Amino acid sequence: MHETGLAIEIHRIARAVADERGGGPLESVTVAVGDLAAVEPTLLEFAWRAVVEGTSDAGAGLLVEWERARQDCASCGEIVERAPGSWLRLCPRCGEPLRVSGGDALDVLRVVFGDGAAASERGAA
Amino acid sequence: MTEVNVREKVLAANASAARGLRASFRESGTLVVNLISSPGSGKTTLLEATARELKARLRLGGLDGDIATDRDAQRLRDAGIPARQILTGGACHLDARQIEAALAEEGERLSGLDVLLIENVGNLICPTSYDLGEDFKVALLSVTEGDDKPFKYPAIFARAAVTVLTKADLLPHVDFDLDAVVNQIRALNPSARVLVVSARTGQGMDGWYALLEEERARKCAAVPAVACPA
Repeated sequence: MHETGLAIEIHRIARAVADERGGGPLESVTVAVGDLAAVEPTLLEFAWRAVVEGTSDAGAGLLVEWERARQDCASCGEIVERAPGSWLRLCPRCGEPLRVSGGDALDVLRVVFGDGAAASERGAA
Repeated sequence: MTEVNVREKVLAANASAARGLRASFRESGTLVVNLISSPGSGKTTLLEATARELKARLRLGGLDGDIATDRDAQRLRDAGIPARQILTGGACHLDARQIEAALAEEGERLSGLDVLLIENVGNLICPTSYDLGEDFKVALLSVTEGDDKPFKYPAIFARAAVTVLTKADLLPHVDFDLDAVVNQIRALNPSARVLVVSARTGQGMDGWYALLEEERARKCAAVPAVACPA
């Protein structure tokens, strides 16, 4: 369940982004997850709901954008016949080691939040 | 409603602590290995043997991650090297901030080491994602765990520079296809080094000790201010 630790970090980062701008409750947070990041998205979303429950951000959504890994063989070019997220690192055609790029992302991309207390007071005045 | 685009790593706090640790280990010429395996595959037993064999030639220290008990650190201390237990209180992995805190609290006893041996929490999955400032990860797989495990837990075998197959003295008693396992590891990590050992009988252990000594010498040679053992 390292997804719980990740959800706590995502919430901390998103909260800091909103707080720096005087923002209120989070509406949604978008994260990029690489298919080699060893993260299970349904577990991450489940952990996220548990982390925000009971806070002012309860109900905020977690949106996941997948980042694909790319495998290249020096002789055969890009390997497209493997399933996304494959960990196999030998070329299926010639058996030579492959070069892998991308797929390791685990980043907060976008934070959407409502008005903060200060802004609401200004609106009421 | 406000929308802000950021690009911040979820594990940025861990990555920053790991960078600090790596810089400090580079300065002291300390080789750091991060041992990862399922519970009961023989991490502590491998480290006990390592402590007994190498402590006369190298200054060793250990950090042991577990959910409960300080049994593993005690075993390493009994084997003659300084060691500290890190209790995670339920978490399934060590993170870089725990390493920082443990080293700070131990002070002199675990500073300026030749080799720091980090034994992660017994788990083949979660510890894979956390950089501890190590030089490389070492995956352990005991022959009693079954010969299908590299393909079932690919991330750790893909990311570990070294895989140690342990309990080799039990090979005659279990159905474990050694060649098949080595081929799986190579398919996941073509440059991985694979060792076959038994800490109990000593089989193959010389290769493990030599690997640690060579890697320590290589790291030490890059630090002019540190006197490297010949």
